[in-house]
Parts: sequence; structure tokens; C-alpha cells
Amino acid sequence: MMAYAATHAEPWSFRPLWPAKAAARRVRPRVSAMEPSEAVRLNAAVVAVAQARDRKAFQDLFDHFAPRVKGYLMRLGAGNAVAEDLAQEALLAVWRKAALFDPAKASASTWIFTIARNLRIDAIRKERRPELDANDPALQPAGERAADDGLDWAQAEDRLRLALAELPREQAQIIELSFLAEKPHSIIANELGLPLGTVKSRIRLAMARLRLALGDGT
Amino acid sequence: MTIKHHPGEELLLAYASGAADEAVALLVASHIALCADCRTIVRGAEAAGGSVLSTAPPVALSQSAYQAVLARLDEPAAAILRSANLSSAVPAPLQTYVGADYETIPWRRITDGLAHYPIATKGGTRARLIRAAPGAAVATHTHRGEEWTLVLTGSFSDATGQYRAGDVQSTTPQVSHEPTADAGPVCINLAVTDAPLIFSGLVPKLIGKLHGF
Repeated sequence: MMAYAATHAEPWSFRPLWPAKAAARRVRPRVSAMEPSEAVRLNAAVVAVAQARDRKAFQDLFDHFAPRVKGYLMRLGAGNAVAEDLAQEALLAVWRKAALFDPAKASASTWIFTIARNLRIDAIRKERRPELDANDPALQPAGERAADDGLDWAQAEDRLRLALAELPREQAQIIELSFLAEKPHSIIANELGLPLGTVKSRIRLAMARLRLALGDGT
Repeated sequence: MTIKHHPGEELLLAYASGAADEAVALLVASHIALCADCRTIVRGAEAAGGSVLSTAPPVALSQSAYQAVLARLDEPAAAILRSANLSSAVPAPLQTYVGADYETIPWRRITDGLAHYPIATKGGTRARLIRAAPGAAVATHTHRGEEWTLVLTGSFSDATGQYRAGDVQSTTPQVSHEPTADAGPVCINLAVTDAPLIFSGLVPKLIGKLHGF
């Protein structure tokens, strides 16, 4: 295993799937604001925390993610104090659970998103979170080859980010609201002044594109 | 296992985003334990969540926040438990709620061949297991809200088709149906509703009320 400092300086071979056309059509670059090299550095930081209990790498993760987790929680209605506490808990969980992180299965931001999401459900809604531990191969049904076996999730996530950035505005808005407004889609529909059927069909269109992006290159 | 009927993508997205409440989350988690395709979609949606997180407007923490977390890094953490019984027919996420053996669940009899077990969850939707012997039917009903039914064992049929293990039937308020267990193994379903069912006929209405459907 390379040291954290060595990996995070590595050059990144980023190759967009639809180079010129993609750039021209991209209307919402902020969705893919995270540079691929930054994603690689953050993934390596979690691995360094897991393998070497590397506090410098942890500080990097804290500096990057704690304010984003806090911002995410506040967008979902948490007050400053609660969001601050939960952001700290989330980063503590990153330290403690780092060994469960598998960069072949998810990026650091996706993994930390699921940690923050579950902490929030537990602490704010006081609900349990029924969860399938996708990292546990023993939980896969016997005799079935999972569709996500052999999928390179690190690359798939890059394609997914690109696809997200390319979604038509009205589809991207609903995907984003699904994460940043804890409301049933019927209420989102009301607030946007749209029939529920329209919201659902936009979700289906968006998800179909994201699915396509996941499937590419396998 | 060939799964033909999947939960709608909006349901998978609601699960991935955390917006789905506990009963719906339980249904989706149990389905993706059985369905690799939907597992991939959920993981893709979670990656979209990672993207939303990384572009969320950052809000600065207090000056002392990092030191406060550093001070706790050496606290002993609770062990990460893997308690699921992997040889059980009960999907792992459901085991936390009902145990690993359908036989030992304290079923409540509704009518001959039909029993149920309400599952305690928080949030607005309600979850229950329904066990139907071959030929047993849940009386004709419509819905005030939506109903999702995940088949765990056996199969059932209604006017819309046949549903087997792993399948999720989604019904909307307009649909009137009388799901009936097929011949073969006992049919056990996880049913999640966001409003009470509306039974037609006086006796089913009374029985429904009695059992909190």
C-alpha cells in the first residue's frame, strides 16, 4: 500500500466519455464540482486512516467533509447546534469505520453521505435504518451473480457524476430535492406546482440516464 | 430467482436519499437483499447523494470542533456487529425486526389460512407480515393511499398478475384487488401501507378494523 502522501499526488487519467459535446451541453457544472484528483485524494485518505490510523489524512477528511456534512444537515432543516454535533459524530464514525470503506465499491463522498444520512435518521427522526450491508459478500443471495459484481464503482461514479451534470435542469432539480428536502415526492410536486405523475416521470427519466451511466464501460 | 416486479424508481431513490420512512425503507432494504438489479440502482442513487454532499454549501464548524473530535479518537468504539443469520430465509434487514425464523413469529390469526404480524416502525407508513395458506385471500379492498407488498415466500395472484418471491407489487388508491395465495408453499408477504385499506363488504370491514388494517 502506498503512503497517503504518495497516492494523493498521483496524476489522474480522467477521460470524459463524450468530450466535446459533453462540455457544450453541460449546464450545471457545479454538480461535478469535485475534481477527480480531489476524489482520488479523499479516497486515499480514508484508506490511510483505516490502515495506518493516519491523523494527517483524517484532518484532511475532517476539513473537507465536516463543513459539507454540516451544510447538508442544515439544508435538511437541522439547527446549527444539532448539525454541528452530528457533523462531528459523522467524522468520528469515519475514523472508527474506516476499515469498512472499500474504494472499489464507493467513493469517500458517497460512503460519508451514507454515514451522515443514517446518523441523521437515527438522531433526528429517531428511526432505525434498515440497511443491507453491501460490503458483506455473505449477504449476497446464493447462486446469483450480482449485477454489481465486476462493476468498477470508482469509474462508474465518475460516469455518474458526468451524467448528473448533464441531466436536463428539471430532472436534476428533482434528484437534488430528493436528497436536500426530506419530503415525499407528492409534497415536492405540490411545491413545484407539478402533478405527481410529472415528478415521478422525471425521476424515472433521470434514473434511467444514471443507470445507463453506471452500466457503461462494463 | 427471477424477479419481475420491482419497486418504482422513486421508491429506490427515496430509500437512497433517506427520505423514505422506516417501513418503506424496510421493504426496499429487504427487496434489494434479494434483487441485484435494484441493489445497483440504489448504490447508484447513493453515489448521486455523494455528489450532492460534495457540492452542498459548506458551513464552518466551531473553532474547537476538530480538537473535540481528536480528543475522542481513542475512545473505545462499540464493536461492529454482524448479527444476521445468513442461512435464514428471512432477508437480513428484516431479521432485526422479526427474527430469523418465520415459524417462531407470534402470528395473529385473521381468518382460516390467514394471519398477520404487525411490525413496529416509526413514521407515517405501517408494515406488517401477512401469511396466507394456499387459496387464502385478503378480502377485496381498495386503498386510501399506496400499498407495497414484497413477496418473501410462496406466491400470490390477483387480477394484475402473479407475484413470486422477491417481487414487489405497488398499488395506488384506485386499484381494487383481492390477492389470493397460489397453490404451493405458504405465501408470506411484507405489506407496507401509508393509509388504512378500504374493504368492501361488512364482515371484511369489521375484521379489517379489528386487526388495524
